[in-house]
Amino acid sequence: MVLVLALGDLHVPHRAADLPPKFKSMLVPGKIQHIICTGNLCIKEIHDYLKTICPDLHIVRGEFDDDARYPENKILTIGQFKLGLCHGHQVIPWGDLDSLAMLQRQLDVDILVTGHTHQFTAYKHEGGVVINPGSATGAYSSINQDVNPSFVLMDIDGLRVVVYVYELVDGEVKVDKIDFKKISTSNSAP
Amino acid sequence: MATSEIEPESSGTLVMSRATESDNHFANLRSVRWRVNLGVLPSSASSVDELRRATADSRRRYALLRRRLLMDPHLLKDDRDSLNLFIDNPLSQNPDSAWGQFFRNAELEKTVDQDLSRLYPEHWCYFQAPGCQGMLRRILLLWCLKHPEYGYGQGMHELLAPLLYVLHVDIMRLSQVRKDYDDYFTDMFDSLSFKERDISYTFDFNKFIDSMDDDELSSQGYSKKIKSLDELDPEVQSIVMLSDSYGAEGELGSVLSEKFMEHDAYCMFDALMSGTNGCVSMASFFGYSPAKGSHTRLSPVLGACSAFYRLLAVVDASLYSHLVELGVEPQYFGLRWLRVLFGREFLLQDLLLLWDEIFLADNSARTFTDDDEDSRNHMFSVFDCPRGTLISGMAVSMILYLRSSLLSTENATCCLQRLLNFPEDIDLNKIICKAKWLQALVLSSNGVFEQRSSVPKSVPSNSSLIVTPDCYWEKKWRLLQKSEEEEEKQMSPPTQKKKKWLKVTNLFRAVTDLSRYKTRSVLESLSQKLSSNPEGEANGCPVTVSMENSPTQETEEGSMDFHTADEDSITSDEESSSFYSDPTSLVRDSNYPENDSNSSTVLTLCPDENSNSIDDLLSAEDSSVSSEPTSPASRDCSTSSDSVSEEKCTGQQTCVDSPLPISPHSRNDYPETQCNEDDSTDKSVSIITKEHKLVTGIVQWFLKCKRNFSGEETSKRNATESHPQALSSHKTGDLDSNLMKTRKTLGQSMLEHIQVIELIFQQEPGLVQGGLIKNIAKTELIEKGQDTATTALRELRKISNLLSGM
Repeated sequence: MVLVLALGDLHVPHRAADLPPKFKSMLVPGKIQHIICTGNLCIKEIHDYLKTICPDLHIVRGEFDDDARYPENKILTIGQFKLGLCHGHQVIPWGDLDSLAMLQRQLDVDILVTGHTHQFTAYKHEGGVVINPGSATGAYSSINQDVNPSFVLMDIDGLRVVVYVYELVDGEVKVDKIDFKKISTSNSAP
Repeated sequence: MATSEIEPESSGTLVMSRATESDNHFANLRSVRWRVNLGVLPSSASSVDELRRATADSRRRYALLRRRLLMDPHLLKDDRDSLNLFIDNPLSQNPDSAWGQFFRNAELEKTVDQDLSRLYPEHWCYFQAPGCQGMLRRILLLWCLKHPEYGYGQGMHELLAPLLYVLHVDIMRLSQVRKDYDDYFTDMFDSLSFKERDISYTFDFNKFIDSMDDDELSSQGYSKKIKSLDELDPEVQSIVMLSDSYGAEGELGSVLSEKFMEHDAYCMFDALMSGTNGCVSMASFFGYSPAKGSHTRLSPVLGACSAFYRLLAVVDASLYSHLVELGVEPQYFGLRWLRVLFGREFLLQDLLLLWDEIFLADNSARTFTDDDEDSRNHMFSVFDCPRGTLISGMAVSMILYLRSSLLSTENATCCLQRLLNFPEDIDLNKIICKAKWLQALVLSSNGVFEQRSSVPKSVPSNSSLIVTPDCYWEKKWRLLQKSEEEEEKQMSPPTQKKKKWLKVTNLFRAVTDLSRYKTRSVLESLSQKLSSNPEGEANGCPVTVSMENSPTQETEEGSMDFHTADEDSITSDEESSSFYSDPTSLVRDSNYPENDSNSSTVLTLCPDENSNSIDDLLSAEDSSVSSEPTSPASRDCSTSSDSVSEEKCTGQQTCVDSPLPISPHSRNDYPETQCNEDDSTDKSVSIITKEHKLVTGIVQWFLKCKRNFSGEETSKRNATESHPQALSSHKTGDLDSNLMKTRKTLGQSMLEHIQVIELIFQQEPGLVQGGLIKNIAKTELIEKGQDTATTALRELRKISNLLSGM
């Protein structure tokens, strides 16, 4: 029962002022165990705000991030799953599934979380999942002007992960979920 | 679960005096006994089957509850097709969402875990084992979810833990019995017992051949195995029947079962918390709002605290006033005592004994007869049932156990430290006996414990402690009067005398019980004398009691020993129980200065069987008593009991009393002259505050006795004359049951007596002293005596003022 919040591409303050209030009201501290952020926050204040929601914050470098110390890629293990994190501007063409699958194989993760397209997508691919949480603030991107704010909450429980997608459509929060069960690999520790 | 340090139940249980027949069956099966007492199992079960059915039902209820409440959001998702994701997502703020419930449960679990991790660290092997912790956690969570109005309160885990423990102990016992009496547990399928468990499929030829060889042996063994349960002793038999897998309700009904420990523990916990429709529900002790229907605006636990403080005030006003002075409110320590039913004060094994007693006490509210409807206890609902009174009695008994150390404290912190760190090496039996005594006291008083409204407002505030008990003692006195009068009519004078004497001794006994400072020598001499002189003797049974007012105030075993010693020697009459309460009323001197110490008095009083006057008794020769009838002091004691007999024997005054000769072995002298007031029995004032007061009271009382029966010296004829008047007026007052009038008369008579004494003291100091104190050096006596006497007189004056003022 581990709740992992995945979001990114906030572009605060350049392209958006803040998270939508409806999202902020949902993100109360204490419920979420981990936050993984795809990057492009861009300033420290948002970083601090995310820290208040959950102290365990993992973040990778987007091209507009102020802090240059964030890594390009990150790999985490939560429960039985390995998660990979990358902003996505490095993967060309942007948002292409095959390229992302290459990255997933490279990082050897079950779940790959990338951003940069500001568009929510979730693919099940080759025994793994590739998730793009979109932009939590609805900031415009270089390829898309009309962006709906969205983020993703993953509920990892044993060999099963349930992905909840929260999207702000016409001022209303819409929730959707996707189930994903991992085929148990014989990953015994050496 | 680690079993290394769990010992099987020892049979050394204490006062199982009120065990009923059903209890006897389960004398060693604490969990079953408790389940019956708490109401989980029917107490009037006619057969084992009934018990099994009740067990099965309670377990089913729990299983249902668990399935319903311990929800897993994942499972929910699978079941439901149309799921409103907007509501049921993890981040939903909607209070109805399943996830919201999940998070709330998680919060609750965190709180419970905080407590559980600190549960019984001294028995951590058992209680901190993960299986046990898991069970405790689940039970507490489910109970709290079922009763959201209470939530989880710190301490509930302490109530639950011993319940689980006793279940475990019984399971151990069961496994022990199974091992020992394996034969009886063979499943009697088709009333054939099979030697081999697996008969058909794993038939082992070799074994079969071997067994053929030992045919004789095996057949003998075989026949031996077919035994009937009747051969076993009842306890083992009941264990077997209770846990038979083929009995009623099968495995679910097997009363002692490891599989269903959680279910049973939950049922017991639920019963304990809810009180099963009785008065005392432990859950109410965790609540803060006042109970419905209570006349106070206090929450139940505060009400119970004030109730036992009130009881303390009644039985030991000095300690009570000391605690009040220091500012020690009962809830500072009472909250912890009551909420976990003394779980934090005693070791686990002791606690189990204590809870045996508490659960044995009936929890149903008492029904009051019509007469007492008006006297129904409105203030303290905890006194409405035996269990509640026992709990309060236990609290008071514990406070009294620490009496000496509490009285020596100077500030509230010290006091609380001592109260909250109850000593470990204690004699629990004694404390429980005392608690039961207090319980009987409260129950027999028919709830006259409060009714502040009836207290006259004119009474000064400093006597507020003493005023309210008046109502109680008043009523007691009246009841006593009625019963006595009835008795008197039925009995002949000699037997009346005998009765009086019995009352005297019983009263005395009870008083000394309360006073708690008898020494060994006293006890021995007393019991000796009592046993050597049966009540029927004429020159009979002197009662020698020496009382020490030692400032050290060591709590001796004395009171209890004295109690028991007396019981052997004196037959208690039917009023003895009522007299337990009486003595405190009789012994009065609330304002007596507390600095008199190191003085002891020895009273001797000889019962008189034949003659009508106790002065004969008093003047009777005794080994330790000087029977010189030269005592000048007028000792006027009037007691309710004696006032009745006064009617019969006034006018028989001839000899002078040798009122209180002091035995040679008394160390310091305390001339009894100081008492002499009619301590206006129950009508008047308060309760013993210190040992001296007790002494003086007793002295007074005995003097009164003597006075009633005998008379006075010629030099005190005036007093005598006034006395009968006072007494008669007293009597009439009593008969009229006019409270005020009697009080006034009593006050007047007291005043008269005081005057007499003063007179005497002024006139014949030497004679008084010399006459009084026969066998002791007079010099030291005289000085001390006079001082004490004068102070006593001053106090008596005050009292009389009080009384006449009322």
